[in-house]
Amino acid sequence: MTEESPPPSEEGKKQPRDAAFWAQRIERLEVSDVPEGAANVNVHGRREVGALQGFGKLWQKTYRVRLAGIDTTPEEVMRVWKEHFPEFQPPNSRFYPSMAGVAPGEVLFISASVGGMPVHTGVRVIYADNESFTVMTPEGHPESGWNTFSAYQDDDGVTVAQIQSLSRANDPIYEMGFRIVGSTEQERIWTHVLKSLAAHFSVNEPVTLEKACVDPKVQWSYVMNVWQNAGARSMLYTMAAPTRWIRSRIGRRNP
Amino acid sequence: MTAPEMDGDQTLHSSLHSLRGEYEGIREIMRTRRKDMPQAQVKMNVRKASEKVSIIDVEGEFNAFAEVVLMDAYNQASDGQVRAIILNFEDLEYMNSSGIGLLVTLLIRINREKQKLLTYGLSEHYRSIFQITRLDDAIAIHESEEEAVRAANSL
Repeated sequence: MTEESPPPSEEGKKQPRDAAFWAQRIERLEVSDVPEGAANVNVHGRREVGALQGFGKLWQKTYRVRLAGIDTTPEEVMRVWKEHFPEFQPPNSRFYPSMAGVAPGEVLFISASVGGMPVHTGVRVIYADNESFTVMTPEGHPESGWNTFSAYQDDDGVTVAQIQSLSRANDPIYEMGFRIVGSTEQERIWTHVLKSLAAHFSVNEPVTLEKACVDPKVQWSYVMNVWQNAGARSMLYTMAAPTRWIRSRIGRRNP
Repeated sequence: MTAPEMDGDQTLHSSLHSLRGEYEGIREIMRTRRKDMPQAQVKMNVRKASEKVSIIDVEGEFNAFAEVVLMDAYNQASDGQVRAIILNFEDLEYMNSSGIGLLVTLLIRINREKQKLLTYGLSEHYRSIFQITRLDDAIAIHESEEEAVRAANSL
């Protein structure tokens, strides 16, 4: 993926200690290597969108699981999480990291099924340190915002794994979907991820969820985001699969 | 005691018992939250640039643990007259993605009050972060305090 070269460091000032953890700024996602099994649909050429650029209500959801009864550190939990990130996903939400894995600037492709509908999209890692990483969504993704995956120790010395989402539905179709059924599905996915992570450490603790509606207003100025809807485009991509197959067969016969 | 007096006392006793239970429940929730929140490594100082403009000087680390400090500073900075809040990031030492989330929630709150949020003192590195996260779409970035105050006063 091409990115802008890093900004020159300011004379006389040392780099902040978070400098190495942030991705570089890019105008649009550019993807050169697509992991096997992933579909580069709704990723290449898309702009990233944050919690301010979506259509729907803005929600902050915090999922936590206490890894009680084991002796581990937040750094170790995060190391395992990054290494096994795709494996902790439920079957209807597949992630395909690049060869570099979960690192600042890398794109994670996603192939999911939402209400039976295929959704091919991705996210980019905008921040990653030893105890957390954050992904940001592109245009067309069901959500517009950030998900932060982190681990920390509470005052009892127990390591807690956390997923915090700050995002809006990207367009009116997704907003309607989230209100009817989607948010429950989303909550199920992240609960599954934390349960899987905990199970990796042989821990069977409940996942807690706190959610708050940060902004109850929809943003009509972003209603046209619907043109980029990854669900609709993925459906067209899937419907065109027979055509692609025929073309590939013709291509083989007439090299 | 007569029967009605005894009934009244029992009702009062039950109510008090119930309230005590709720109070203990709330205290437990607060204890749990405090347990899970390490100390914030940030200081914020509030000062007035004019009747309608307040400045919050941020010093230290801007991450999830700064939430309480930030909201306290905002409450202090914002009264009925204030129309703009300026965040001074000249002494910012560290910001992670949780800090960005804090800025979003602050911005939503400020917009709800029909106020504006501006910033100055961001280094090139943190300006880049504002651009990566597209916060710069909604939060004005200025070169200096004078410029930020001038912009705020003209709103």
